[in-house]
Amino acid sequence: MNKKEVFKLAKGFRGRAKNCIRIARERVEKALQYSYRDRRNKKRDMRSLWIERINAGTRVHGVNYGNFMHGLVKENIQLNRKVLSELSMHEPYSFKALVDVSRTAFPGNKNMAPAPKKEGLSILV
Amino acid sequence: DVWNKTWYPKAEDHVNTEKTWYVVDASDKILGRLASTIAIHIRGKNLATYTPSVDMGAFVIVVNAEKVAVSGKKRTQKLYRRHSGRPGGMTVETFDQLQQRIPERIIEHAVRGMLPKGRLGRDLFTHLKVYTGADHPHQAQKPIDLPIRDKRIQKQT
Repeated sequence: MNKKEVFKLAKGFRGRAKNCIRIARERVEKALQYSYRDRRNKKRDMRSLWIERINAGTRVHGVNYGNFMHGLVKENIQLNRKVLSELSMHEPYSFKALVDVSRTAFPGNKNMAPAPKKEGLSILV
Repeated sequence: DVWNKTWYPKAEDHVNTEKTWYVVDASDKILGRLASTIAIHIRGKNLATYTPSVDMGAFVIVVNAEKVAVSGKKRTQKLYRRHSGRPGGMTVETFDQLQQRIPERIIEHAVRGMLPKGRLGRDLFTHLKVYTGADHPHQAQKPIDLPIRDKRIQKQT
């Protein structure tokens, strides 16, 4: 692309990268590569942010994220993490109802029998 | 529309004057477990409105900092190092030596290691207020007790 287009894309860059074509061209190429990669990364980052928010919201009610999602899956509630995180922030009573539904469906692993003990090197001693 | 865009806090959602203030008494609490709960509350990870790029956390006041406990032989064996930048400029102190000199630094060092490192992390660190002794000058902020969910944080005597 010609210089005018490069400088248009180089607005806000630091130092000579916004003014001098040789440096601006390199930086703009890099910026376009980063934006290509980050359009894909953004989807991952957003999902991880929703999961963090849901985790914080459910721990207030004494349930952690893993058990909560397992309970929802068992009850076939197909709300996605985006909507769940928005509910946890803006609709606290509805979210509490969801946590209760999940808790009745899956109360957690505390009452499971302990895993069978594996024999270690102590049998050789 | 509000249901298809992920919420991002506006300026009025994180005003410093309206944040909660917590107070915690550090006497006979295990250092690392205490620092972990403090860091979680300062960063805001216990809130559903957590945002990594914005300071949504609370302020935490620690009192009785000189009475914080460590398990095992850490009192004489845990080392605190700092380097001045010049060759041969490393100073090594043990836990109890530092506790004699500057007791607040122990909790500050522990919490600073658990907060993010960066501009925001440095700002978050200023929300930690550590004091030796049982008094603190923040009565006007009406701090509430920090809710601690860790069962092993109290030192067993």
